[in-house]
Amino acid sequence: MTQDAASVRALLGEILAALSSAPESDDTRTLRERLERFVALSDDALTPAVLLEASAVPLGAMRIFPKEARGLVGSKANAIKQAAEAALAAEKEAALAKALEAERSGAGFDATMPPPRQACGSLHPITQVTRELEDLFTSMGWTILDGPEVETEHFNFDALNISPDHPARDTMDTFWVKTQPGAPRLVMRTHTSPVQVRAMRRLQPPFRAIVPGKVFRNEALDASHEHTFHQMEGLVVGKHVSVGHLIAAMKTLLRGIFGREIEIRLRPGYFPFVEPGFELDARCPFCTEGCSVCKRSTWIELLPCGMVHPNVLKSGGIDPEQWTGFAFGLGLSRLVMLRFGIDDVRHLLAGDVRFLEQF
Amino acid sequence: MKISYRWLARHVDLSGTTAKDLAKELTLSTAEVEGVESFLPHLSDVTVGHVVHREKHPDADKLSLCRVDVGQGEPLQIVCGAPNVRAGLTVAVATAGTTLPGDFKIKKSKIRGVESNGMICSERELGLGVEHDGIWELPQGLTVGARLGAALGMEDWVIEIDNKSVTHRPDLWGHRGIAAEVAAILRRPLKPLDLTLPATGSGAPCAVHIESDACSRYLALRVEGARATRSPLWLKSLLLAVGQRPIDLLVDLSNFVMLDLGQPNHLFDARKIGPQGIVVRKARAGETLKTLDEVERKLEHSDLLICNGDEPVALAGIMGGEGSKVTDDTSHLVLEVAAFHAPTVRRTSARLGLRTDASARFEKTLDPELVPLAAAHLVRLLQAEQPEVKLGAPATDVGKWTSAARTIRLRGERVRTLLGANLDDAAITDILVRLGFGVTQDGDALAVRVPSIRGTKDITIEQDLVEEVGRIYRYGNIPEIPLAGILVPPPRDERRRLVRRIEDRLAGSARFHQQISYSFVPDTTVEKLGLLATPHVEVMNPITEGASRVRRSVVVSLLPLIEPNRRRAADVRLFELGKGYEPVEGGEPQERHEVALVLARPPRKAHARFDDTSLAELQGVVEDLVRSLGLEGCVWSRCEAAASWAHPGRATALRIGAQDTLVGEVAALEPGLARALGLTGEIESDVALARLSVDALLAATPRARRYSPLPQFPATRVDVALALPAERGAAEAKAALERCGKGLVAALELFDVFEGERIGAGRRSLAWHVTLSAPDRTLNESDVKKFLERVEREAAQLGGELRRE
Ligand SMILES: [Zn+2]
Repeated sequence: MTQDAASVRALLGEILAALSSAPESDDTRTLRERLERFVALSDDALTPAVLLEASAVPLGAMRIFPKEARGLVGSKANAIKQAAEAALAAEKEAALAKALEAERSGAGFDATMPPPRQACGSLHPITQVTRELEDLFTSMGWTILDGPEVETEHFNFDALNISPDHPARDTMDTFWVKTQPGAPRLVMRTHTSPVQVRAMRRLQPPFRAIVPGKVFRNEALDASHEHTFHQMEGLVVGKHVSVGHLIAAMKTLLRGIFGREIEIRLRPGYFPFVEPGFELDARCPFCTEGCSVCKRSTWIELLPCGMVHPNVLKSGGIDPEQWTGFAFGLGLSRLVMLRFGIDDVRHLLAGDVRFLEQF
Repeated sequence: MKISYRWLARHVDLSGTTAKDLAKELTLSTAEVEGVESFLPHLSDVTVGHVVHREKHPDADKLSLCRVDVGQGEPLQIVCGAPNVRAGLTVAVATAGTTLPGDFKIKKSKIRGVESNGMICSERELGLGVEHDGIWELPQGLTVGARLGAALGMEDWVIEIDNKSVTHRPDLWGHRGIAAEVAAILRRPLKPLDLTLPATGSGAPCAVHIESDACSRYLALRVEGARATRSPLWLKSLLLAVGQRPIDLLVDLSNFVMLDLGQPNHLFDARKIGPQGIVVRKARAGETLKTLDEVERKLEHSDLLICNGDEPVALAGIMGGEGSKVTDDTSHLVLEVAAFHAPTVRRTSARLGLRTDASARFEKTLDPELVPLAAAHLVRLLQAEQPEVKLGAPATDVGKWTSAARTIRLRGERVRTLLGANLDDAAITDILVRLGFGVTQDGDALAVRVPSIRGTKDITIEQDLVEEVGRIYRYGNIPEIPLAGILVPPPRDERRRLVRRIEDRLAGSARFHQQISYSFVPDTTVEKLGLLATPHVEVMNPITEGASRVRRSVVVSLLPLIEPNRRRAADVRLFELGKGYEPVEGGEPQERHEVALVLARPPRKAHARFDDTSLAELQGVVEDLVRSLGLEGCVWSRCEAAASWAHPGRATALRIGAQDTLVGEVAALEPGLARALGLTGEIESDVALARLSVDALLAATPRARRYSPLPQFPATRVDVALALPAERGAAEAKAALERCGKGLVAALELFDVFEGERIGAGRRSLAWHVTLSAPDRTLNESDVKKFLERVEREAAQLGGELRRE
């Protein structure tokens, strides 16, 4: 303001000089005294408001000035007014900047304050993994099929080449449904494999299908055994489908599940509905030298699979001389446990919200 | 099943192949190996010693003070309590630092004031037997200071094979069968074994009568002059290695033959078999037999018995009878080797809970041709130990067995197609011959002769031979081949798309947690629902009592989850997509695909908004879900046939679309059931449940959704409160307002419900936000006025009034 104060005094001085050429009168004296009072003010006292007042005084008393000086006085007074307005604007801007600065300081804000909890729902982990696999397979042209949980003895056993004397039919593993004598016998399906034959009867080869779903085994419960769990069956029927195709499909499946190349090995395994039958082991994805998941073997027994038994193809109305196929049965519950590190299978179906809301 | 490495080496040369190598080879070609363990590893820590000097302990009559040379430095001073210790004996010495079975650590100690630097061991202390009549007197001639295991040739490894992986291979239930696999894999010959029966006398053979088809072959042989002596070390150590407790030579050899050839057999005391001989027959109802384990077994007609005349002496293929067992004074035996019907043995064994090494083998369908071979094997082994043993009479070998040997035509092309491996016929032939098959050319295919031992169960068709070739060739040698063919996208799966949309909506904006439940529902829940008499799909053999029923509706699975979850959280929001089953007499049950929801929260507060209830919120969730599927025209009505879980007075049914399709019901929880479920006291709850039919939703869901054009002219909003007789439902009020709008009502939203003196008893006021709009113009005041006039008239006709405050 100092600079401006000096120039304002200079402007006032020029106005006073113009006044001196006016005839003396009370009005002239009063005006001069008023103007001189402004000149005498200290720099600090020359606030924009005072300047506005100082500019208004000569403008309001223009008739006192000689006619020929009035133009000059008007321009000088306006100059003072502009200085006042500029100062006012600057003051306002400074106040705004100060206020913004105060606001930006964020005083009283605690960044560590916990945010309010956003309620949300969840998809069951089995659903999540099932969807991933469904998407993987449908992207490769596989169909997704469904089948009943209460299944006929025919589809669950006979059609799958499981002879009437096979130990699996005994009450040890199978939940038998009470039925009227003479009526077809029913079971809680012990695997998703019955859908293999249902699929063969519905679809024309060649086809590729997966069947996710619930299965039942009459087993005692513990941390790794459930009487109800989830499986995903896979079935491919086509011309010249071979073990080589099975190996490729299983490697693709594992790439989909684990997001990288996983070494596998097939070794003999016996299941009546495939021939040859295999157990598929995957190189443990969690270690290189053995861990608790792979029981220190570096291999994880992942799924049973094999080439569809000709009798099963025949049950499905497919000529085994024309067509061959492979099938696999992935333990979905086990995969879910592996994926999320769940240590007790019983959590999966228990319905505890504290478990469900984690997913 | 335990397999001994040393035992295998009796049948095939294993030089250069460790037990670990074998485990890997067998895993990749034959069966699942669960592990390999060293047999009695402490035997290589125990030293062969020589008792140089023995004197009485100065302070104890029954103890001896010995000086024992263990081949290192000065002989050790050892205090020994055994009565048979004496100078000159070769003994087993556990020096200080050795650990014996039972985590028994040998330390230097003072016994009655005398220093003792180890222990002279008995067989029992070394884990080699049960006898404890003194220290083990080792054969002379062993090198003093040598490791005991190596000195006695007892070092062994036990390969544990997963029984489940060989259920289809009866031939692998003995060491020779496994050795044959090893021989095929390693390309080494199987060592010859003489399995011909030695010459017999001409006495009267044992009579045998087979009266049941469940026995296809029965061989009985009189064996004279045998004694139940102690078994030699080689026999004991092999049996111990595979987990068999040695008893005496006769029992041990019987077991050995079973574990060697896989063929169970039985020895009767010949004194217990009378002149009528042996009769094989089914049991009669009410019959009993005390088996060797001294348990009295109640028999059923399906059980097969071996009888002395008419008196049962053994449960065929499972266990002998207590009364006819071989005892210390037995010298004349009747040896039984037979073939029994596998399912018969399995059923009896399962029913009695009596699983034995014999029954486990018979269940697998053994080769009847093994019968005479096993008999010869046993006799030859016995005569090697007791040369005085005689066969007084020819064997009786009767029955109607058929050999399982067969010839199968195998096309090389079939092998190559199925395996996807480029194996020529010569390579195929080589593998099959190594496995013991006979191969000859048959036109452009191979004629493969399957020996009886492989033909009972495992190898019956061409594809079985493909497996034989593949597993020996090794599946790891097969190149991967990507699935080829024209990739046709699978048909649109409407059900799965619908299910995903439902899941996403409920787990997303509706904020519900997805549950997947057991299909079984506990009787306790069914009982609370009063549905015990309603037919359910029911299993005969539930996992526990009261868990035999399969749910008819998915809602039932959610009921028991409310109480425990309400204890943990104020709000419980669960949904489940799954199946329910309704039994159909004489057929497959009716399957119902459902969505069930439960919303539970603390009871409603006194001054809560009229629609602040679980029921209203859940209806909102359901209506939103249905809309999100592209379904319009939700109509709520009172549910007339409410489910047993539904509050009879607060149950609603949801219908949609032009066909008025019933898609489900939403209701408050039945109040009595709420109490029965434990929702009282501090977890008293406001609970609503919903059941929607996925099938109905699927049938109603449009394939494509259509957009409605955006309004061109601004809408007008007017609030209307209609006081109507309370029995008139909100749907009636809503319909009246829509009628009055004459097509101008774009939206209706209920925002208040009021009952009280001000509007008169028996009346209820429903206040609505009404949005009016026209597609072709902006509405003016006169339109609104006309609308309100119509509402006023309509309200009067319905016995109420339009309220103006
Ligand atoms: Zn691992």
